[in-house]
Amino acid sequence: MVELNPKFLEDLPITSYSDNPTTLIKTGTWKYVQPSYDDKLPACSNLCPAGNDISKALDLVARGQVDEAARLWRTGNPLPATLGRVCPHPCESECNRNAFGGAIAIHTMERFLGDRSFDPAFLPEKKPATGKKVAVVGAGPAGIAAAYNLALAGHDVEVFDDKPAPGGYLRTGIPDYRLPKEILDREIALVESLGVRFTCDTRVGRDVTLDDLRGRFDAVIAAVGFHRSRPLGVPGEDHPKVYNGVHLLERILLGERPELPARMAIVGGGNTAMDVARSLLRIGVEPVVVYRRSRLEMPAIPAEVDEAMAEGIELHFLTAPSRVVVEGDRITALECLKMRLGEPDESGRRRPIPVEGSGFQIPVGGVVTAIGESADLDFLPEPAREGWRIAADSRFATPVEGIFAAGDAAFGGGTVTAAVGEGRRVAAVVNAWLGGGELPQEAPPVQGLWSRPVTIARTVHVEQLNPAYFTEVPRPEIPELPPEQRKTSFAEVMGGFTEEEAVAEARRCLVCGTCNECCNCLYFCPDVAIHRRENAFGFEIDTEHCKGCGICVEECPRDALSLVEVTS
Amino acid sequence: MRMVLKGNGAVAHGVRLARAQVISAYPITPQTSIIEGLADMVSEGKLDAKFIKVESEHSALAGCISASSAGARVFTATSAQGLALMHELIHWAAGARLPIVLANVNRAMAPGWSIWTDQNDSLSQRDTGWMQVYCESSQEVVDSVIQAYKVSEKVLLPTMVILDAFFLSHTYEDVEVPEQSMVDGFLPPLDLPQKMDLERPAALGNLVFPDRYMEFRRKMDLAHDLALGVWEEVGREWGGLTGRSYGLVEEYRLEGAELVFVTAATAASTARVVIDAMREEGIPAGLLRLRVFRPFPAELLRGVLAGRKKVVVLDRNCSFGHHGIFHQEIKSALYGLPDAQRPPMYGFIAGLGGRDIRPDDIDGMLRGVWEGRITDPVSWWDVLEAKDPARAAVVMA
Repeated sequence: MVELNPKFLEDLPITSYSDNPTTLIKTGTWKYVQPSYDDKLPACSNLCPAGNDISKALDLVARGQVDEAARLWRTGNPLPATLGRVCPHPCESECNRNAFGGAIAIHTMERFLGDRSFDPAFLPEKKPATGKKVAVVGAGPAGIAAAYNLALAGHDVEVFDDKPAPGGYLRTGIPDYRLPKEILDREIALVESLGVRFTCDTRVGRDVTLDDLRGRFDAVIAAVGFHRSRPLGVPGEDHPKVYNGVHLLERILLGERPELPARMAIVGGGNTAMDVARSLLRIGVEPVVVYRRSRLEMPAIPAEVDEAMAEGIELHFLTAPSRVVVEGDRITALECLKMRLGEPDESGRRRPIPVEGSGFQIPVGGVVTAIGESADLDFLPEPAREGWRIAADSRFATPVEGIFAAGDAAFGGGTVTAAVGEGRRVAAVVNAWLGGGELPQEAPPVQGLWSRPVTIARTVHVEQLNPAYFTEVPRPEIPELPPEQRKTSFAEVMGGFTEEEAVAEARRCLVCGTCNECCNCLYFCPDVAIHRRENAFGFEIDTEHCKGCGICVEECPRDALSLVEVTS
Repeated sequence: MRMVLKGNGAVAHGVRLARAQVISAYPITPQTSIIEGLADMVSEGKLDAKFIKVESEHSALAGCISASSAGARVFTATSAQGLALMHELIHWAAGARLPIVLANVNRAMAPGWSIWTDQNDSLSQRDTGWMQVYCESSQEVVDSVIQAYKVSEKVLLPTMVILDAFFLSHTYEDVEVPEQSMVDGFLPPLDLPQKMDLERPAALGNLVFPDRYMEFRRKMDLAHDLALGVWEEVGREWGGLTGRSYGLVEEYRLEGAELVFVTAATAASTARVVIDAMREEGIPAGLLRLRVFRPFPAELLRGVLAGRKKVVVLDRNCSFGHHGIFHQEIKSALYGLPDAQRPPMYGFIAGLGGRDIRPDDIDGMLRGVWEGRITDPVSWWDVLEAKDPARAAVVMA
């Protein structure tokens, strides 16, 4: 202690010090800016069409609160175990971890959390019943997501589908080696546990009329998807050994093993083409893929193309069919022209142009068309149709009152994830409409943190992080079945995480834009103006003492703090 | 162990032997090879220390101040602009009474840019409360770094160990590097009486009202007074262990010397040759080398210089608008002497910005004064003449 009334120099310490707290001086009035904890959109969620709250969930996993994370993931997304297998995971492409050892394996993490939460205990609490009834046409991913979210909101939901079982393209278009049907069944069972009824083998427009539905339900959502392959438009395509890709795939996936030629050409570069080729390989047919543009323009998920090539599937790029060669009653070859790429077309991809005199034949005994799909929209009244698409605005409403739309047939998102996101969003719109009788000004944004507000609408990219706090940690290898073992079975190709692996991977997550209680602000604040919240997550800023120096914002590794101007 | 070391290498070995625990530093020519050497030693496990690379000299010293406040033995090194950038914290380190050791390689201040030696950088820090030791050889450098820790930790003041750019920092010499066990016996682990205590949180260096500030400054000044004796005592103890004694100043051929040449650092080595030659000729010349400049050994200098016929001071520095800094300090020390005892003094400003000071230069200064040809109290040596000083002062060519 300092002698308060020293008589001699010896009574004083060697230099001044004070054990009075600094709180004596209220420096809060000095500031013209004030730090605050503001959640921002991480780069991953910014690209997630389903609106998953990735960073918060990964932070929970990193803390060992794995069940909490799974619960959070299922907040508005009924299909994480499915998406964790079939999503093209755009989130990983801009993951800020790319700068420090490779993107977080978000896709595998979603699968891990999905597989962990097949028990209804993981579902959010259902809101009290509203007495309102909603019909969903189409039990694909958009319809399932819409039904799930509407059921959670307390509405009575019935889903109609013309197939024998719900799932839509997930069941009839995605092979088991990518999505085992048991997984899909368990996720659909969870949706049913909320009271959603799936009425199958019932085609709207044939077995039941739309008017009937409009009479019995307060709202109808058309979520029918694409199930018809478009024709090739070349001579010889009416031969019985020229198959419609979507239908052939559906037959194989439902367990049929039709009599097929030993070698077949698959025409197209999308996911259907890849799925058909890889499925044919597994039932003993030698597939040859023919695509008119180059690898770069292929609409298929790149990983699926990689896997197909690893399995040894022959691919002909810049090749377009010109004739199915038939000798007698047998197909002997697919005659093709070589193509070159011209200027970009309306799709933004470079247009293929035939190279004159380049005709050649690929010897095959059959052909499968997989060059794009369309929807069967006959059940809808004229104003709700627009060519081969459903006419719906950005609020998911068709011009016909009470009829809404989502999914590929309306917006052509082309992925299961986009369909889930649209299902989620159309549910939000319908819920608002049922509640107030009026359409909301706009639908919720495509991207966003659905489980919590983003207080500052800005995306956190690597430039916004403080790199001093992050060291390079390599991305783990995701287990995968060796190509030799894949070719002969429909066993799942990709593996998943154990809990230990998932926690280790989640610890690599930089938790961009969201406080994860790393405590840097607490340690750096020179005014001791940051305090832990009592019995709650995060910190509080003592505005009486914070002088707005901004050190906490500068030293926050993850851009979870912002400086806001103070107006007195 | 005998090693061939340059001055910067000698600093690094001294710091290693002193077992510094935290080194917080930023590179600057001509000091850089000191901290490079230390970084290597730390990374090779030869020195168990935390090496903190910072973004500026201000932070380098801030790191030292923090670590020292927590009770660690610390080190940093710098030169010229780097030392100037530290200035605010140079005051803090002394006022906080932290026994930090800093090696400053004397480098001329910019502009114009120079990387070569002169003493204006360290002498600009004269009044901050730091102790300053000017070294002449690599041997003296390694010995002085170790002694500096001992003295600093006894009197609780920081020390600057100072060496000339290139003439010493980058010149290889034969050096006897002491054994670790001997140094460990000489310099026990640091145990500061007042340091950060996590059990008793306190603000260090807090506000002091006018009724107390002066008391803390008085204590600093008393510590400097105390340090004069401690430097002598520690220099003798070192001599007992190594055969190399050190004092506040070094006297060379001063017995019977009527003409005394005073300087510091490596110019003293050159001067010895000249003194020897003049003695051969029968001119009674001698050399007084300043070693410890703060605390200033005024009494000692008075005793040594009283009654000499003429005193010549060579300054590799200048307090613009007045004299060379050593010159004015020595002159003030002699003020109390009776007239008959007080020798006339002649100051020379030479060797700024690394200009060589050759034996002929020192010979010219000494003979000019001895023979009565030079009578000005202050002369700039070996510099272009001004035809019209008033014009030369401001004209742009």
